Amino acid sequence: MRPINIKINNKVYNILVDEHEMLSKVIREKAGLTGTKIGCEQGSCGACTVLVNKEPVLSCITPALRFDGAEITTIEGIATNGELHLLQEKFVEKGAIQCGFCTPGMVITALDFVNKNPEPSIHEIKDALSGNVCRCTGYKKIIEAVAEYATEVKSSELKVKSSEPLIDKPKTTKGTVGVPRPYIEATKKVQGIADYADDYQTKDALHVKFTRSIHAHARILNIDTSEAMALEGVRYIATGKELPITFGVLPLSQDEEAIAIDKTRYVGEIVAAVAADSEEIAEHACKLIQVKYQPLKEFLTIDESFNDIGTAEKIHSTSKFNNNIHKKAELRFGDQQQGLKDAEVVLKMDFEMVGINHGFTEPHASTAFWDENGLTLISATQVSHYLHRALARTMEVPLSRVRVIKPHIGGGFGGKGDPFAHEIIVAHIARKTGKPVKVRLTREEVFLNNHGRHPTKMTIQLGANKDGLIKVLDAAVVIDGGAFGSFGIVTTYYNGVLLQAPYKLDNLGFITHRVYTNKPQCGAMRGHGAVNTRFAVESMIDDIAHQIKMDPVEMRMKNFLDPNSFTVGQYRITSNGIKQAIQTVAEQSDWKNKHGKMPEGHGFGVACGFFISGSALPIFWNELPQSVVHLKVDFDGRVLIASGANDIGQGSDTMLAIIVAEVLGISMDKTFVIAADTLITPVDLGSYSSRVTFMAGNAAKDAAENLKKEIETAVSKKKNIPAEELIFSENRVFSNDKTVDLSWDQAIEILTANRGAVNVSGKYISPKLGGDFKGAGAGLSPSYSFSSCISEVKVDTETGQVKILNVWGAHDCGRALNPLAVEGQLEGSWHMGIGQVMTEEMSYYNGLLLNNNFLDYKIPTSLDTPPIHTNIIETIDPEGPFGAKETGEGAIHAVLPSIANAIYDAVGIRITKLPIKSEDVLKLLKEKEKQNQTSKVEL
Amino acid sequence: MIAEKIYLKPKSVDEAIKTALQHQASFRYLAGGTDVIVNKYQGNEEANCLIDITGIDELKTVTSDGEYLKIGALICLDDFKKHELISKTFPALINVAHEVASPMLRKTATIGGNVLCENRCSFYNQTERWREAVGYCLKCEGKTCIATGGKKSCFSRFVSDTAPVLISMDAQIEIADKDGIKTLPLESIYTGNGISPRNLSKIAIIKNIILPINRNFKCDFRKLRPREAVDFTSLTTAIAIDNNGKVKIVVGGVDPKPIIIEGTSADDKNELIKKAVKKARIVDNDVYSREYRKEMITVFLNRSFKVLR
Repeated sequence: MRPINIKINNKVYNILVDEHEMLSKVIREKAGLTGTKIGCEQGSCGACTVLVNKEPVLSCITPALRFDGAEITTIEGIATNGELHLLQEKFVEKGAIQCGFCTPGMVITALDFVNKNPEPSIHEIKDALSGNVCRCTGYKKIIEAVAEYATEVKSSELKVKSSEPLIDKPKTTKGTVGVPRPYIEATKKVQGIADYADDYQTKDALHVKFTRSIHAHARILNIDTSEAMALEGVRYIATGKELPITFGVLPLSQDEEAIAIDKTRYVGEIVAAVAADSEEIAEHACKLIQVKYQPLKEFLTIDESFNDIGTAEKIHSTSKFNNNIHKKAELRFGDQQQGLKDAEVVLKMDFEMVGINHGFTEPHASTAFWDENGLTLISATQVSHYLHRALARTMEVPLSRVRVIKPHIGGGFGGKGDPFAHEIIVAHIARKTGKPVKVRLTREEVFLNNHGRHPTKMTIQLGANKDGLIKVLDAAVVIDGGAFGSFGIVTTYYNGVLLQAPYKLDNLGFITHRVYTNKPQCGAMRGHGAVNTRFAVESMIDDIAHQIKMDPVEMRMKNFLDPNSFTVGQYRITSNGIKQAIQTVAEQSDWKNKHGKMPEGHGFGVACGFFISGSALPIFWNELPQSVVHLKVDFDGRVLIASGANDIGQGSDTMLAIIVAEVLGISMDKTFVIAADTLITPVDLGSYSSRVTFMAGNAAKDAAENLKKEIETAVSKKKNIPAEELIFSENRVFSNDKTVDLSWDQAIEILTANRGAVNVSGKYISPKLGGDFKGAGAGLSPSYSFSSCISEVKVDTETGQVKILNVWGAHDCGRALNPLAVEGQLEGSWHMGIGQVMTEEMSYYNGLLLNNNFLDYKIPTSLDTPPIHTNIIETIDPEGPFGAKETGEGAIHAVLPSIANAIYDAVGIRITKLPIKSEDVLKLLKEKEKQNQTSKVEL
Repeated sequence: MIAEKIYLKPKSVDEAIKTALQHQASFRYLAGGTDVIVNKYQGNEEANCLIDITGIDELKTVTSDGEYLKIGALICLDDFKKHELISKTFPALINVAHEVASPMLRKTATIGGNVLCENRCSFYNQTERWREAVGYCLKCEGKTCIATGGKKSCFSRFVSDTAPVLISMDAQIEIADKDGIKTLPLESIYTGNGISPRNLSKIAIIKNIILPINRNFKCDFRKLRPREAVDFTSLTTAIAIDNNGKVKIVVGGVDPKPIIIEGTSADDKNELIKKAVKKARIVDNDVYSREYRKEMITVFLNRSFKVLR
C-alpha cells in the first residue's frame, strides 16, 4: 500500500492504494465516485473514461500510481453548481441516454473530442466514439447530441439557459401522451449519480468470488477448501451441497443448481464460492481450492445431443429418452402436404445460426443482507418478482421474508431476466455469515452466465403460387439450449408459433427441439425465439419473389394478415400497421427505383416481422393480475406511482408517469415513480416478452382512472356538481362553465379532507385468448407489433466484405406514448440486429467460449453502424394504453433478413448462416461464379 | 500470502535500467500499458514489479537532422498527427496509427509499445482459468500448440500495425541497454518464435524509432478486421517504394513475425506477392480462418500495388 495525493473534481484525496491497483477502482471504491463505470475491465468499452490532467484516460487499465498528484475529473465533476454542462443537456434532450451505463464514458470522451475538434463532421464524431460501446441506442441519438452540442458551442453566444429543469422541457401540460421527452431519471444518469447494482457500498460487506469448473461435463469427486479457508480474510466457503434446491425461471425447468452439486455441466459452472474481506482475497482463495473431477463424455453440439447417446451419461437425468433432448414442440395447422402439392414454387432450405449474447454494458452485480425483515437482495434484475420467488424457494423461507430491490440497470435485453446462481449464493452466504455479501461478475463471467440467443439449425419449406400467394410453411428447428432450461421451453415454442404472422398462412406446421449441451445456458434475448426462424422465412420469401419475378415488397403486400383477423393458430390480431410500415420504408428508400436496379455489388433488401406485446399467460399459473399499479396522493398533491415493473433503461418508469399524468391532466412534476422493490411495489411480472408498456401501462391507466373517480366524487359532492361535468387538464379540475375551477392542489385538498392520503390501485389482466389445443397458449398476446426494414449494402467481391450503407425501418407500436423513447428502442433494436447479422457470435472451442470479452465479442462500434432512418407507425391499438403496444423487441426481426436480402440483390448469393462472414460471402461468390461457368459451358 | 507488488516510476532511461536490474527477477516496463495491463488482468503477465517509464521525458521528442527522423518511443499513437515532421514526410504513419485499436487507447498507447506489442493467439489471450481448462499452450508453458492441434512450435500472431509500415520504410530502432546504446533495423528484433517473439534483452528500452527522410517513400497499407475500430489486426500489409525503386513488402498478423519481401519496381509484382504468401506460416488462431487470411494477402497487396503505381 502506498499513499497518493490526487485531486478529483477539485477535491483533494489522500488515499492508500495497492501498488498495482487500477485508477477506476480507486475512484469508485476509495473516493466513492461511482459514476465512473466498469464494463469490461480491459479497456474495450470506454465506460471507465475519466479526464486526468484534462486528458481522457481509460481508468480500468491505468494504474493509479501513475497519476500521483494529478487532477482528475470524473462525470460527477462535469456539471457545475447543479447546472448541467451543455453537452449533458444535449444528451438528455436528444434521448441519448437509455440505460445510462455507457453515458459517463461517452460524455467525457465526447467532451474532450469536441474541445479539440470544434467543427467535427458526423464521421469524425463516429470515429471519436468508436471505442465506447453503447448497446441501447444504436449510437444515433448520441451522435446527434454531440453534433448539436458542437454546433451550439460554435455558434456560441450561448443563449441564456432556461431556469426550468430540463425534464419539463416539453412545456405543454395539455396531455403528456405523444410528447417526446427524455427519461425522468436522465439528468441523474448523465451526471453519474444514478446508482447501479455495483454502486451500492454496503458497510462491512463481504465480497464473493467463484471457483469455476474447468470441465464441460464431469463428476465432482472431491472439493478441498482447507488451504483456501486458511487464508487470512476468508470468511466463508460455500459448496453445492449447502444449496440442494434447484431453481429456474420456469416452473417446468427447475433444473439449475446454484453451485454444482455432484457434477458440472459446462466449463465455468460455479463449484465453490468464497466470501472474504476483499475481492482480491476471495479471488486468491478461489485458486487455492482443489477440486477433483472425473470427466464424463461431453456433448457440445446439437447433433451430439440430439441423437442416441449410447451408454454415456445424460446431461440431465430427467430427459425422457436416451438423448439430451430437453423439449419437443410440434403444432400443425391446415394440411402441409396438401399445401406443398398446391404450391407452384416450393423451396426447401437449411439455415444455421450461432448463439449470441445480450452484451449489456453493466455486468451483473448483487448485494444481499439479512435483518429482522428477512432477506433483502439488491440486484441487477429484469424480473424482481420471479427472483423473489426463486429466493424464497431456495432459501426455504416464506415469500413474506424476501425483498428484492432493483436499482438502475445497465441494460438487460433478456439477459437479466432469470434468477441467477450468483444471486442465490450471496443470499445464502449472507445468512451464513450474518454480514452483507456482495458480488459482481467480470465480463467473462457475464458471458459464462449467458442466457443469450440459442444457436439454431433448421430446415424450412416454403411454397407459394406464381401469383405470390404463400401456400405452405413447414419448419423443422433444433435449438441448442446449453446446460440448463432457462426460458427454453418458451423458446422452443416461439421458434415455431411466431411464424404465423405477419402473413396469412393456411398450412403451417413446425417441429422444434431444444437440446441440452455442455455449454453456458441459452435463454431469452430481444426478439425471443423468433429472430432466427424469421430470418430464414424472410430470406426464402425473397428467394421465391425472385424466382417468380415479383417485387418482394409486392409479394409481401399480397400476403399480409389484415387488422382484426385471426392467424391460423388462433392469435387474435387487432391493430396491424404492417402495410403502412412496408410502404413507408419502400417510399423512403426509393425502393422501386433501387431494388434490382443497382450495379453489381450494390443492393437493397426488404423484410418484415412481428412480435408479441406481452405474453397473455403468466409464467406461474395463478389468478394474480399480470400487473398492478398503486397510486397514492396526499396533502402535497404529488401522485406517487408504485409499480413492480423493471425499468432496465427502456424507459418504463417514464412511461408510467406519462400515462398517470395524462389521465389526471397533471404535469409530470406532480408525479413520482417508485418501481421494482418487491416490498413496496405491487407485483408486476417484470421486463420480458415486451409486456411492460401494454400491461403495466394499462394497470397505471386503470389506477389513474380510479384516482380520477375518487377526485370526481369528492369534488362533485363538495361543489354539488355532477361528476361527469368535471374536466381534468393543465393541472386543474374544472367544469366547462367554470362554475367549478380548482387548481390541482385545491382538488386534492377536497379529496383528502377528513380522510388523509388516498391510495388507489389499478390492474391489468389479459383477456382470455386463443384456442384450446395443447400449445395454444404459446405466443398468445393481447396485441402484436409489426415492423419492416429495408437495407442498402455494398459487397466487395474480392474480399467478401459487406458494408451496410443505410437502414430504413418502420415499426407499428400502436401509439408512441413517448416518441423519443420509441425511436430509441427501435434504433437500439436495429443496431443489435446488425450485430447478430454481421459480427457477433459466441464462438466455442471444446466447450470453452473463445471470445469472452468485449474485444473479441464484436458488438458493432459507432463506425460499424450505418445511418438508421427511423419511422414510427401508429395504429392506435384498441386495448393498449392510449393505443400503445410493444416497441422494445419486435423491431429487431426484420433488420437481419433485410441485410441478407440486400446482399442477394447486390451479388446474387443467398445467405444461410449467421453471422455473415466475409469469407463465407467470398466462398458463395466463387461457387456462384463456378456455376455460371458450368452453365455457360453446358449452353 | 499474496505476493508483494512494487510500482516504480523512474525519470530517466538510465534510472529505469538501473531499477530494472535491481528487480531483474520479476519486473516489466510499462509504457501506455494498454497491452501489458490487459495481459496482466488475464494472468499472462505476472511481474511483481511494474516500472512505469511514462515519466521519462527524453523518450517523448520528435526530431530531425535533415537525414533521419527520430520519433521518441513514448510518442502516443494519437499524437503522431500533431507533429508536422511526421505528417509531412510520413503520412502513412499517421494513417496507420489511426487504425490501431480505439481512439481512447491511442491516446495512451505509444509507438514503442506498439512495435513491442505481445504476439496474440485465440488460445493464449485468455484468462488463467480458461487456459487451465484448455490445458495450457506452448506460450504459457504448456506442452503443445492448441491452435495447430499439437505442433511443437508456437505460431502466435505478430499484431503490431505500425511495425509493418515502419519496416517497409526501413525503420531502425535505437535501443538503450545495460551495455549502452545501439541502433538496429526494426525487423531484426523479431525472432519468428511465437513464445519469445523478440530478441531484445528484458532490460532494454527503445529510445527512438528512426526513419530515413530523403527517400520519398510511397507507402500503402491495409488492415483486416471485423469491425472498423477496436480490433487487433487479422492481417496487416504494407508496401513502400522509395525513390530508387526499391520495393519492400511487409505482412503482419499472419505469422509470429513480420513477413518481409524485398525487390525493385522492375520485378514482377505477382512474384513478390507469391513469395510473401509462401513465407507466411498462417494457422487457425484468429477470428478469420487460415485460408481466408492467406487469400487476402494477395488481394490486399494487389490493391496496394495498384494505389502505388
